[in-house]
Amino acid sequence: MSAAGGKRFAAVEIGDALGPHEIVIDKARAREYASVCGMDSGRFHDDEAARAEGLPGIIIPGNFSLGLLSKLVTDWLSAGRGRLKRIGTTYRAMVFPERRLSLHGFVTHVEPESRSVEIDVWIENEDAERLVIGTATAEFPPGD
Amino acid sequence: MAFDQSLIGKEFEATQPVAVTAEAIGAFCRALGEESGSYGWPGPDGAVIAPPSFAVTFRNTDAFFHYTPRFGRGFDAGKEVEFIAPIRAGDEITLTSTVREMYEKTGRSGTMTFVILRSTLRNQRGETVAHVDHRFVHRNPGQGE
Repeated sequence: MSAAGGKRFAAVEIGDALGPHEIVIDKARAREYASVCGMDSGRFHDDEAARAEGLPGIIIPGNFSLGLLSKLVTDWLSAGRGRLKRIGTTYRAMVFPERRLSLHGFVTHVEPESRSVEIDVWIENEDAERLVIGTATAEFPPGD
Repeated sequence: MAFDQSLIGKEFEATQPVAVTAEAIGAFCRALGEESGSYGWPGPDGAVIAPPSFAVTFRNTDAFFHYTPRFGRGFDAGKEVEFIAPIRAGDEITLTSTVREMYEKTGRSGTMTFVILRSTLRNQRGETVAHVDHRFVHRNPGQGE
């Protein structure tokens, strides 16, 4: 950590872990996220509408999962000058509200020339199933 | 399931500019649980800065859905987002979108069609702030619906 409390490039090593952070997204929050983002599909708001689509109930939008994993990385970078440059996610399974989820990250590569860091990120359920997987790239400015 | 390969590379009409407000960024931060203090507050230039994932909240025009296959139950299969510049309150964001790929995959649950759509977000100065590759998947009719 720097004096300002942010992650510094020199302090990053392969194998560094981000999280895990445990969360439970309740239905109200899933709906709130969908509403704020203008996602009006019933599958994000109403259990009956979701069941009409063959789902067991409302689901958490994929964008929300991407946001949570982005936040995992930006929280790790903290107030430093490093920034989230890229994130890619694959939604392998539905993410449901009211379940215990955990957010994970793991530094897989450190590139001194570009001062960038590759990170595997994922969301697990209580059974350690990876519901969302992805990779992220963070980069740091010279001298940081 | 055949799909129109001529759509690949097609650029759809740009969206109308969407004005980004401090209130919209604040609501997004609350919904996301963003409490770090790095976002949702004025940055060095005085403008409120949005969390990076705010970039995925901008919607395409319906034109995209008029052209691409709509069959069976569709889902968001994933995204790839390149964050180029922060989005700030006061920005006016426009999307232009292009079909990059369309392909089918067959697995245990049947055949699915994937459509990769790239959206480019630009601000009112014409600066690109993000690229978002959306990966949509549609399960073909009669296969596990």
